[in-house]
Amino acid sequence: MQTVKMVISGAVNAGKTEFIKTISEIEVVSTERRATDDTRLIKKETTVAMDFGRIAISDDLVLHLFGTPGQKRFDFMWEILAEGMLGLVILVDSTRPETFRETNRIIDFFVSYRDTPYVIAANKQDRPNAWSPEELRLALRQPPHIKVLPCTATDRESVKNVLLELLYVIQERSED
Amino acid sequence: MALVGNIRDFSLSDFLSLVDRGYKTGALHLSHNDQMARLYFEKGKLLLAARRPEDEKPELLVRLGVLNADQVAQACRLLAERGNGLTLSQILIDTGLVSADRLQQALMSHTEQSVYGLFAWPEGDFLFEHNQRPAPDAPLAPTPISIDHLIMEGVRRIDEWERIRDRIPSTDLVPRFLAPPGEKLKGMRLAPDEWKVFARINGRDTLAEIAQKTGLSDFDVCRAVYGFLTAGMLELVKRQRVLAAGMPPVEQPRLKKSLVNRIINRIRSM
Ligand SMILES: Nc1nc2c(ncn2[C@@H]2O[C@H](COP(=O)(O)OP(=O)(O)OP(=O)(O)O)[C@@H](O)[C@H]2O)c(=O)[nH]1
Ligand SMILES: [Mg+2]
Repeated sequence: MQTVKMVISGAVNAGKTEFIKTISEIEVVSTERRATDDTRLIKKETTVAMDFGRIAISDDLVLHLFGTPGQKRFDFMWEILAEGMLGLVILVDSTRPETFRETNRIIDFFVSYRDTPYVIAANKQDRPNAWSPEELRLALRQPPHIKVLPCTATDRESVKNVLLELLYVIQERSED
Repeated sequence: MALVGNIRDFSLSDFLSLVDRGYKTGALHLSHNDQMARLYFEKGKLLLAARRPEDEKPELLVRLGVLNADQVAQACRLLAERGNGLTLSQILIDTGLVSADRLQQALMSHTEQSVYGLFAWPEGDFLFEHNQRPAPDAPLAPTPISIDHLIMEGVRRIDEWERIRDRIPSTDLVPRFLAPPGEKLKGMRLAPDEWKVFARINGRDTLAEIAQKTGLSDFDVCRAVYGFLTAGMLELVKRQRVLAAGMPPVEQPRLKKSLVNRIINRIRSM
């Protein structure tokens, strides 16, 4: 049995757990705990170690989806989760510009030492005041070749689209 | 859709830089306690900055000593008669009531001063309304104002590491120009210390080395570089990557195309 892994990261409350729940075939194994520190002000429950979801590709191949914890004090988990990943989705809460800097730090952490294929998902596009993907590209200073995709993590088609776009980037780099 | 946020979290310099790089047209509304400001942009350049509603009226030109009240009244009459699509500034220049240079100078200096004051705001809600344009009789700079040096001016007022660390996490990083920095540089009006830093950027030395060679503090070097970053002139790279130019840093597991295609087909069918 071969497993391949993708990581879903982003700042606190970006929608990582939601994203994985929407697409996973198993009930997501999530380590939600009562939020501490500033996160408490935004939400009651936050992911502390990781989220884990799974999609069976065939009898001998499975795709694992790992969501990273949002709170800063758990960022030691990032290194562990990043090991051997096939690709990365960076989720952004498009309605909260105050998280854009943190998002940049996360992107920098994951891609500066590794040459990881990644896409950015401008999440919560269904909400009023969401910044559009093109505006997010400018705000996050992403070069034109990086895909910044519209996303609504509660919508399965939207989540599928983000994963597929990431897979197309991976496909381009794969061997014949 | 309007862009909303607070300059505490997404600074005015960051916003100006976004407007610049995105060639945005529209109006930025800012409010802080009982103060307000409105900035109009066209294709990424600044047309007008108003700190109070009167700054958007033709009478501003009287206050600035560019025209007298009769001349303003005359220009407004002409504008009303000729109307369609003309701006007050065009009328003023066409009729020779004031030269384009004089008008530009007065409005540019007023606009810049208005923006500088905004950098002192610790916080403030902003709302950017796409494609909102000033009224035809608003006193607009005849040539829209480049905002590169406004960005730099905002950065000069940063006095804490915390802000800079967001984008410059370590002094072991190497600044490298993205493209020959000609045109942008002209508009930026750098201070002498910033020139020193600028001149030392060679794509090999780290920020710490630049500080050592220029005799400036780490903070001063990083602040100047933060300004260049915000203006979109350079990038920071890790030293290892500079040495191994062209090589990917850590080997990424390479997959067979057939395997990736299997995953794609499966997700498509979900
Ligand atoms: N309207 C809307 N709400 C969303 C969307 N995605 C997530 N949410 C909501 O946003 C909140 C945060 O979502 P989570 O999935 O818990 O976010 P997270 O990134 O896992 O958060 P942490 O684990 O605390 O870092 C929840 O209330 C979700 O229901 C979306 O696309 N649209
Ligand atoms: Mg979570």
